[in-house]
Amino acid sequence: MIPNIDQLILNDLIHRSVYTDREIFDLEMEYIFNRCWVYVGHSAEIPEPGDYKTTFIGRNPVIASRLVDGSITLLINRCRHRGPIVCQHELGNSQHFRCPYHSWTYDNSGALIGVPMPQGYGPGFDREKLGLAKVARVAQYQGFIFGCMTEEGPSLEEYLGGITRFLDAYAAVSASRKIELFEGTQKAGYNGNWKYQLENGVDPYHVGALHLSAVSPEAMKIYRQGTGCVIAMDGHGVTDHTDWGPMPADASLSGGFNLVIFPNLIVLRSQIRTVRPIAVDRTEIYTNVVRLSGVPEEVNLKRMRDQELEFGAAGTFFTDDLEIFERTQEGLQSGAVEWLVFSRGLDRESMKGGYMTGGMSDETQHRGMYQNWKRHMMAASSAMMAAE
Amino acid sequence: MPTSRGAVEDFLYMEARLLDSRQFEEWMDLFTDDAVYWVPAGHDDIDPSRHVSIIHDDKAQMAVRVKRLRSGFAFAQDPASRVHRLISNIRILSEDEDALEVTCMMLLVELARKKQTIHTAYCEFSLLTGRTPWSIRRKKVNLLRNGEVLESTPFLI
Repeated sequence: MIPNIDQLILNDLIHRSVYTDREIFDLEMEYIFNRCWVYVGHSAEIPEPGDYKTTFIGRNPVIASRLVDGSITLLINRCRHRGPIVCQHELGNSQHFRCPYHSWTYDNSGALIGVPMPQGYGPGFDREKLGLAKVARVAQYQGFIFGCMTEEGPSLEEYLGGITRFLDAYAAVSASRKIELFEGTQKAGYNGNWKYQLENGVDPYHVGALHLSAVSPEAMKIYRQGTGCVIAMDGHGVTDHTDWGPMPADASLSGGFNLVIFPNLIVLRSQIRTVRPIAVDRTEIYTNVVRLSGVPEEVNLKRMRDQELEFGAAGTFFTDDLEIFERTQEGLQSGAVEWLVFSRGLDRESMKGGYMTGGMSDETQHRGMYQNWKRHMMAASSAMMAAE
Repeated sequence: MPTSRGAVEDFLYMEARLLDSRQFEEWMDLFTDDAVYWVPAGHDDIDPSRHVSIIHDDKAQMAVRVKRLRSGFAFAQDPASRVHRLISNIRILSEDEDALEVTCMMLLVELARKKQTIHTAYCEFSLLTGRTPWSIRRKKVNLLRNGEVLESTPFLI
């Protein structure tokens, strides 16, 4: 049975099935991950022609490939012959991708350039039409590369909306106004729904509670004494604590902001976190650490060492986040209580600069993201009703 | 007289036991003030100044981890993981007057939230043996799965 999606997201309440229902997860893969702009990687991960990175857009295995002219193409990592992925490495440099099964070979723009014993195919065999499938659209903003599985819909900049201003500020901390990345990726997984991580990336309310064992009293002042705010920004979430200072070069927990770019990108402190939904109750998190140009090397090292202490799979903050995501999945199995409460700040939020804005510990940003979720998922309802 | 493998075994078994039995302060006391406690990410041979690690602590950061585990608010360790470490394949790679480079294999079995997780690692130790008890200048844990998606690992490895 297809759930009635418009009744699952109320202004102040969210129904537990949003996190526990397998059919809803399937619809999310189709109507969110196959429709929205989805983050696939940063330009600094594949700087040279021939560089590639493999990743996923929802359930689609994808290769992000840097071409000779410097542009990036997103290919579906699936041989057009019988279906295996054609690239199994996370990162690399190659002029071509070859499926080892029957040696069909593609260049790094996806064109089919080699088929053994082609005489076995009849005259209708058209290599031109058998290149690797392409993700419909690819675009970058400040080096953040996004793919969109559909031709229709807003441009990336329209989709990001007000978030572009924050990404500009994030890049501007680097003297070159371009961020760089340390090598390597931190990877962690949890048995819980992917949206817990999206909520948690912009959730100042939890810091003084869940992270009591890790957060310093000085950092807590941002949340308890600051005049920062949370913003529902064009379907994405922002916590803005620039009242406490600009984004700090040393990435300490002080000024700056956290961004959750729906549906799978989190930018905060020194981190670019990618959220990969695996199943309704399984999520993987991939984190890259950002380096800056124009700062002393010890500042960059401090950014990485702090990240490792606090946010790796063994991090003093992150392990408690992962723990609470699993406990939430466990708690929401109960149908005795149907709703989660997202009402915090409803009576004191207001429009500022064109965006609904709440106090530092409020849930305005979550309500905004779930209205965005609902808008995309309602398209699913409409399509299914039309089909019936 | 060269150090016997038996003496190295005794030391590594003791280090493992301190962690298994949650004697974190005594464990930390084994490390020199300039010690490095390192768990690489991705693969074993990375440059930790250019490549991110899972853990790369100096002694001050180790103390932060221990203090958190003792705080009563480390929710990911409530209840605490139960951990058994098996140490084997011990090799003495080199020996100076008062320093040893040794390696071993570790099989670490963790029980947490009713689930048993097995980690294996190739461990490298730089030991100072001039005084008793010996001390650790560097502990590097090369997890077999250091390139994979890891579950939350809130205990000391």
